[in-house]
Amino acid sequence: MIAYKFLRADGTSPFTGFRWELPSGAPGPWVDAQIEPCRSGIHALRLSDLPLWAGKTLWEIELDGDVVEQRSKLVASRGRLVRRIDAWENEVRDAYTRMCADRGHELAESVSPPLENWAAVIEPSVREGPALLGFVAARIAEEISGPETYHAERARQTAWLAERLGLEL
Amino acid sequence: MTESHDHVTCQEVVELVTDYFQGALGPDEADLFEQHINFCEGCNWYVDQMRTTVAAVGRVREEDVPPEMRDRLLAAFRDWKERK
Repeated sequence: MIAYKFLRADGTSPFTGFRWELPSGAPGPWVDAQIEPCRSGIHALRLSDLPLWAGKTLWEIELDGDVVEQRSKLVASRGRLVRRIDAWENEVRDAYTRMCADRGHELAESVSPPLENWAAVIEPSVREGPALLGFVAARIAEEISGPETYHAERARQTAWLAERLGLEL
Repeated sequence: MTESHDHVTCQEVVELVTDYFQGALGPDEADLFEQHINFCEGCNWYVDQMRTTVAAVGRVREEDVPPEMRDRLLAAFRDWKERK
């Protein structure tokens, strides 16, 4: 199955430091691992998981063998990088971060009285990048209307990413 | 342990880091822990420091965290929480 994976700019995993061999014209080599979620295994993402883990570079990854589906990720016994999703570059990443920041402001100002404490958090957080701003916008939504709106905001972010990156929902 | 249904706070990252390294967190907890350090630069830095400590001494306990690091981190977290 095809899934997604965020890596650092140098091709290493942000959590394990594992250095993936990057595809160059053809898929990279298969990597095998024992499945032990969060500790071992090939960790990958569904489209709907992307906002939670938004990192520097985005890759399409093919998974094989056993695949465990978890709440916000997949863990497989085998995987190989297929291609980089080039559309996820600095400009789009910054645009996504800005979209989340603007949405956070919009939500914070949509209630009376406005959520000034949350609004104050948004701009200083922008430099931290897309994962934090996506979280902030979703948490503001949750504070206004509860957990369901947190997920609705995450779905909104996923739709933005799918459209801008040319990925099928 | 969560403030809402699906995230951990910076304070909880500090409290859970030893369990995280020892594999004592359940998959859902570890998932939330990693989501947090993915977007929180302060916690990412903190966990990296702890990882270095573990690599150096082969184990980690709360008292292994340099007091000034812990104080700095917790002060930053308090500030963050107050601004929220």
